[in-house]
Amino acid sequence: MGVQHSQAWMALQKHCQDGAGQQHLKTLFADAHRAEHFSIELDELFLDYSKNRITEETLSLLIALAEQQALPDWISRLLTGDVVNDTEARPALHTAARAEGEDVQGVAAEVQADIELQLQKMAKIVDKIRSGHWRGFSGKPITDVVNIGVGGSDLGPLMVTHALQTIESPVNLHFISSIDGTQTSNLLNHLNQETTLFILASKSFTTIDTLSNAETAKDWLEEKIADSQTLLSQHFLGVSTRPDLMSEWGLPEDNQLLFWDWIGGRYSMWSTIGMPIALKVGMDGFREMLQGAHLLDKHFGSAPMSQNIPVLMGLIDIWNINFLDIQAKAILPYDARLKYLPAYFEQLVMESNGKSVNRAGERVGYKTCPILWGEVGPNAQHAFYQLLHQGTQSVMCDFIAPVERDDFKTDAGTEKDHSLRYQHQLAMANCFAQSRVLMLGDAAIPESIKAKFDSPFKHYPGNQPSNTILLKTISPKTLGMLVALYEHKTFVEAVIWEINPFDQWGVELGKLIAKETHAAIKDVALSEAFDSSTQNLIKRIAK
Amino acid sequence: MKVSVFGCELSGLVTAGALAQTGNQVLALPIGVVKVDDLKRGVLPRNEPGLDGLLQSQVEEGRLQFEGDWKKGVAHGEVLILSMPSWRLERAEEVIKTIGEQARGDVLVVNQSSFPIGTADRFEAQIKLAFAQRGLVAKVAVVAMPEFISEGSAISDFVKPDRIILGSHDPQAIQQVRDLMRPFNRVIDQFKVMSTRAAEYTKYAVNALLATRISLINELANNAEHFNIDMEEVRQGLGSDHRIGFNYLYPGCGFGGPSFAADVKNLVGTLQSKGYDADLLKAVLSNNEIQKEVLFRKAWRFFDTRLKGRKIAVWGLSFKPNTSTVENAPSLKTIEAFVEQGAIVKAYDPKAMKDFAAHWHHPEGLELVNDMYEALQDVDALLIMTEWKAFWNPDFKRMKQLMRKPVIFDGRNIYEPDRVMERGFRYFGVGRGEIV
Repeated sequence: MGVQHSQAWMALQKHCQDGAGQQHLKTLFADAHRAEHFSIELDELFLDYSKNRITEETLSLLIALAEQQALPDWISRLLTGDVVNDTEARPALHTAARAEGEDVQGVAAEVQADIELQLQKMAKIVDKIRSGHWRGFSGKPITDVVNIGVGGSDLGPLMVTHALQTIESPVNLHFISSIDGTQTSNLLNHLNQETTLFILASKSFTTIDTLSNAETAKDWLEEKIADSQTLLSQHFLGVSTRPDLMSEWGLPEDNQLLFWDWIGGRYSMWSTIGMPIALKVGMDGFREMLQGAHLLDKHFGSAPMSQNIPVLMGLIDIWNINFLDIQAKAILPYDARLKYLPAYFEQLVMESNGKSVNRAGERVGYKTCPILWGEVGPNAQHAFYQLLHQGTQSVMCDFIAPVERDDFKTDAGTEKDHSLRYQHQLAMANCFAQSRVLMLGDAAIPESIKAKFDSPFKHYPGNQPSNTILLKTISPKTLGMLVALYEHKTFVEAVIWEINPFDQWGVELGKLIAKETHAAIKDVALSEAFDSSTQNLIKRIAK
Repeated sequence: MKVSVFGCELSGLVTAGALAQTGNQVLALPIGVVKVDDLKRGVLPRNEPGLDGLLQSQVEEGRLQFEGDWKKGVAHGEVLILSMPSWRLERAEEVIKTIGEQARGDVLVVNQSSFPIGTADRFEAQIKLAFAQRGLVAKVAVVAMPEFISEGSAISDFVKPDRIILGSHDPQAIQQVRDLMRPFNRVIDQFKVMSTRAAEYTKYAVNALLATRISLINELANNAEHFNIDMEEVRQGLGSDHRIGFNYLYPGCGFGGPSFAADVKNLVGTLQSKGYDADLLKAVLSNNEIQKEVLFRKAWRFFDTRLKGRKIAVWGLSFKPNTSTVENAPSLKTIEAFVEQGAIVKAYDPKAMKDFAAHWHHPEGLELVNDMYEALQDVDALLIMTEWKAFWNPDFKRMKQLMRKPVIFDGRNIYEPDRVMERGFRYFGVGRGEIV
């Protein structure tokens, strides 16, 4: 029996059909205390979820659904290191990776020593690079570090280092991910072999994207470095779960950092995969990020469901997707530093929950993960907000903004600082205005100018639900909290949908077929068994 | 003349001593960590040749006194001299405030310190404003007279200067300072009178030019190695060109010191903070920081990057000979670089070991020894970082016996490569000797 036939699910369906599904947000806001009621704060993170089409009753029915699906038990299984990734027969211990030995039980406690050992090895390398004592072949200090990785080995460090750009770093960081080699070739034109170090970040150490970029980097280093041992020991670091393959590739043991198969790629920035973050903000900053996430883990593991931020966010998503039939979600950060946050959440959420088979291997009879996309909010306002306001799609939005900007002195009093403060106000004004108009539609138009909107083209239906998340500042700690929040709310949804969020079988076949196709490009005769479209395309590029 | 000198670091003490020696009644007032009682007991902050004797004789003659109370300094001096390190600007502001509050009549201030351009004008305006607020009608002049003394030769630099630069718009003030400085202006007229700001800027410009010259010659020397050219031969060719000359033309392991490098850094800082161009000077400074590790890089390559456990001897720690100071010295960076790679360093300097110890913050990896030969026991290489005279003609036989490997990295090019190699040493200079 699928969850859609369960009592709690049907109760929500009835609640929806009985009128809750037809409510307009503007009427719900007749209650002056609504915002106070439907908002929650944890340390430096504040969530306003009042602009969702929910009532007290909706929430209690959702919580009943969560209880029926044994969510509290699943949370505790996740946090203690039970085998929650059943198709790969392993736990998902990303929360253990950021616990620093605190408040952990079960397998999560057993792995603490291994985790700390690797963090300390990473700290030594990071300190050596940041202090200018990691030397290139000629004896000059390393000034540029290039992370070669893709997916989880790229997005997390890229997103966080970009978000923390106001923190000055003694080394320049670069990221190469794409298999096509253009990023690599462009970047290498601007770097110097004497002072460049590469990190090969690959969970399996078999990822062709990463290894092919690594080969190109190695060729480039060989133009200047005759001694291959020096080349490998001074210009490459490896981060992987596979020390055997790192050694085979030629990385000395001192240059290898480990993590484990029980940390998923898209959950791995808390592990040694996060080294670029530590290089950017220092090991103390990196540990602040872990502590921020751990704060949320503790909250997730202990707060009652009605006060549990990831649980609330996950359940409201369930309501929107499965009962209000909203199949799209926009991630809208109102600070350009969070440029890569939408891409990061796209991977986190869609690779986790983009699935149509439940844990028992049966096809599910309900919608699961929506399409998630996003962009820095003020830029998106000039792009796809048109669709949000007047399109035919219902879309739920997450607005994310910092309360304070830390990149100018609040008391400096210069014209520039004054202008920057003004700009921050403008950004926040836009953030709040957009969520308000999306919610109220025409009702947001002031009485005095209503006449100007008397046109079928100037009609705003509104009623688009949204969350607003305010972070005190953009810091290692708040980023840790924010990412952990989305990880957990994604897990909450997976529990309700009875799917495994920790595998990603969907991405495997394409990798395999790419190998076959590559062989066919090198030898066109091999493409004869392919479809005519693929054959044609291969002929056009085969040389 | 009655003179008060604010600041009892090297420059202030030399100024006070030299002015007392020419008959002035001098009151010297410390502004920082230096204590009056120490000065009175003859304990000096700097170990400068001849300074001890000069000060002692002037105290005995009764023309020089040390004083802690700035008010007395303001009351005493017809000329008030500011002679402080560049990073003491805040203390100078306090002295100016005291002058504004305490002076009873005309005030002549002479600033020798390397403060930002425009400081002398600003000080003058501040004193004038204070006088106006007190209702005091009196003349105020602040003259810029940048000092050009070098550690190790500070007294002779002061009493036999190349030139004395006087910056002021006030002819009367200029005349007064000329009178004060006349004894040091005997041979030909050395006074160069100019605007206040031009005088301040000249000091920075001199150091900027010299620093650029050193960094350029270092870059040329490093590249000469790639072509297997002996930079010493090139230096002879360059220096004999009368447009270029031989001064400041030695390649080496970088410049340092408390004022020279700091002045250029301050100038770059000032220019950058105002959004002006300083590209060349920035390159000069970063080049120099890289050059400070030139011997480390040679050793790194010579030992195929494997320095862990190697023993390295260092001769010379001070930023130049005849000084006890290691501030900004290449030895600091170089020794740190070796220790960070796990090497063990044994270092000797005739005068600067105490100052080095004070600047050294690593728990292990360094041993300071009291004899230049003791440093060589069982080492894999010797680095020469400062060209102290005692290092020029050492007992090479004894050196070779003591060292585990006879390898010399010479950061000051004090040896003839062929002569040292004949004696069985591997020899690597800067732009000279073997290439690695």
